[in-house]
Amino acid sequence: MTGVTFGRVARSEWTKLRSLRSTWIILGCTAILTVAFSAAFGHGYGGQIRSGEVTPSLDKAIDVTFIGLDLSALIIGVFGILQMTGEHGSGLIRASLTAVARRWPLLLAKALVLAVVTAAVLGPTCLAAFGVCQAMIGDPGAGLGDPGALRAVAGATGYAVAMALFGLGLGAALRHTAVAITVFVAGLLILPAMLGPALPAELEHRVLPYVPIAAAQAVYAQVPDGSGPFSLLSPWSGLFVLLGWVIAVLAVGIVVLTRRDA
Amino acid sequence: MIEIHELTKRYGDRIAVDNLSCTVRPGQVTGFLGPNGAGKSTTMRMIVGLDRPASGIATIAGRPYTRHAAPLRQAGALLEAKSFHKGRTAFHHLLALAQTHGIPPARVWDVLALAGLESVARRRAGGFSLGMAQRLGIAAALIGDPAVIILDEPVNGLDPDGVIWIRTLLKTLAAEGRTVLISSHLMSEMAVTADHLLIIGRGRLLADTPVQDLIARVGVNQVLVRSPQATDLAELLLERAATVTPVEPGLLRVRGASAESIGELAAEKGLVLYELAPQRASLEQAYLQLTRAAVEFGTDRGGSL
Repeated sequence: MTGVTFGRVARSEWTKLRSLRSTWIILGCTAILTVAFSAAFGHGYGGQIRSGEVTPSLDKAIDVTFIGLDLSALIIGVFGILQMTGEHGSGLIRASLTAVARRWPLLLAKALVLAVVTAAVLGPTCLAAFGVCQAMIGDPGAGLGDPGALRAVAGATGYAVAMALFGLGLGAALRHTAVAITVFVAGLLILPAMLGPALPAELEHRVLPYVPIAAAQAVYAQVPDGSGPFSLLSPWSGLFVLLGWVIAVLAVGIVVLTRRDA
Repeated sequence: MIEIHELTKRYGDRIAVDNLSCTVRPGQVTGFLGPNGAGKSTTMRMIVGLDRPASGIATIAGRPYTRHAAPLRQAGALLEAKSFHKGRTAFHHLLALAQTHGIPPARVWDVLALAGLESVARRRAGGFSLGMAQRLGIAAALIGDPAVIILDEPVNGLDPDGVIWIRTLLKTLAAEGRTVLISSHLMSEMAVTADHLLIIGRGRLLADTPVQDLIARVGVNQVLVRSPQATDLAELLLERAATVTPVEPGLLRVRGASAESIGELAAEKGLVLYELAPQRASLEQAYLQLTRAAVEFGTDRGGSL
């Protein structure tokens, strides 16, 4: 019996993803960069402790691991964008949409495969980054058993997965690689930084914790007060807010994909 | 079978397809013919659900394409040659399409062989020539062993071998009882490939006719006769119920009598003939006559025909 089922579309999307060399180059580079930066931050923090500049703190040692995570998230977000804009740009979308004529399963299958692959690569990467970073810190470094350590690793992985899906949704909604990347970088990284000065103080405290990047930070960071001008949400609230963003952007992507001529 | 009912598509103010109704039947190659910009591609895109019509409906086997549980089984389409990702191999491109329908990988190798792409199956499609890209597109269209095959300008970019290959393939597919719809702006291509023609101009149906009927309809057989005794000959022909139109002194255009019978008549009556030329309207002329009024980009015409 032949017919389009979600499982089959997901299998097809897995074939598409794994058969592009660029997939493995991007994921490999992200993994290497993430671990390398964590090693550097660990080395720096360990040096500060040894020179007596800072007093050792387990929370801080955990947080140091993922200072550079926004860069990894940016690369993974662009990776997500390309999953959709690559189809529009190459014309493959016409073949894909004649095969999956109902359209929405195409985007959801892409989301599923992308989430699984991103988690499978970034999970071990974040774990390795944590291990390497703590080793560089040395004795005052944290272990996985320390409170918050596992949450940080899992949260960092979740952040990467969320950004991949966020990018995928943006790619589906905007179709053009350059436009989608611009909106991704501006909306995710630059606008939140500009919101601070632009908004009146009390509004700033109410709005800023809910922007995706702050919500994500709430999931993996240990020190919720931070040094920023606003306080982060609790880890669970952050997770739900982040999930909300992802669902909203994917929903817009599905609407655009199903409504517009391909 | 493809059924198109009052299909209309607008892009802003411009009407690309205007209330088009027609049926494409199985068992024959149907040529979709019209000048550039006549709405051929848009109609094909609406048939497979890539474009949404402003009004009207197109169905395959009685249902809109997008409502079928296994659409690739119903229809396969080649709409633009490069409908693949440059970085993926021909094999993986086809495999991904096949997997959406649970079609086994063996079928991928079948269509690769059919398209003559077996030797390059593991090469990345970005390096393909236009002709190879076209073959990959046709392989993709056939992956689901569909009852309806829709190809937009299939001979584009093919070398002479490829052109013969596609003609043979299309005839074979039609002979197997499939519905085959191909578009072209080249009348000469259609004359040798298609059995039936749908001619459109400015999004409207101008003719829905077997190729042979089109020649008969527009190409009324006539004979040009040059004779120093044209007046005498004309009288004799009129007696035999032929239609005679004087073109210039000494030159007649005759309808309703064959070149043979005019020659025999002249010999019998001892009349001198300088020239006896049967005029058969070509498909090109027939097509031009039909589309002349409907040609949208008049200056393009010379180049495209």
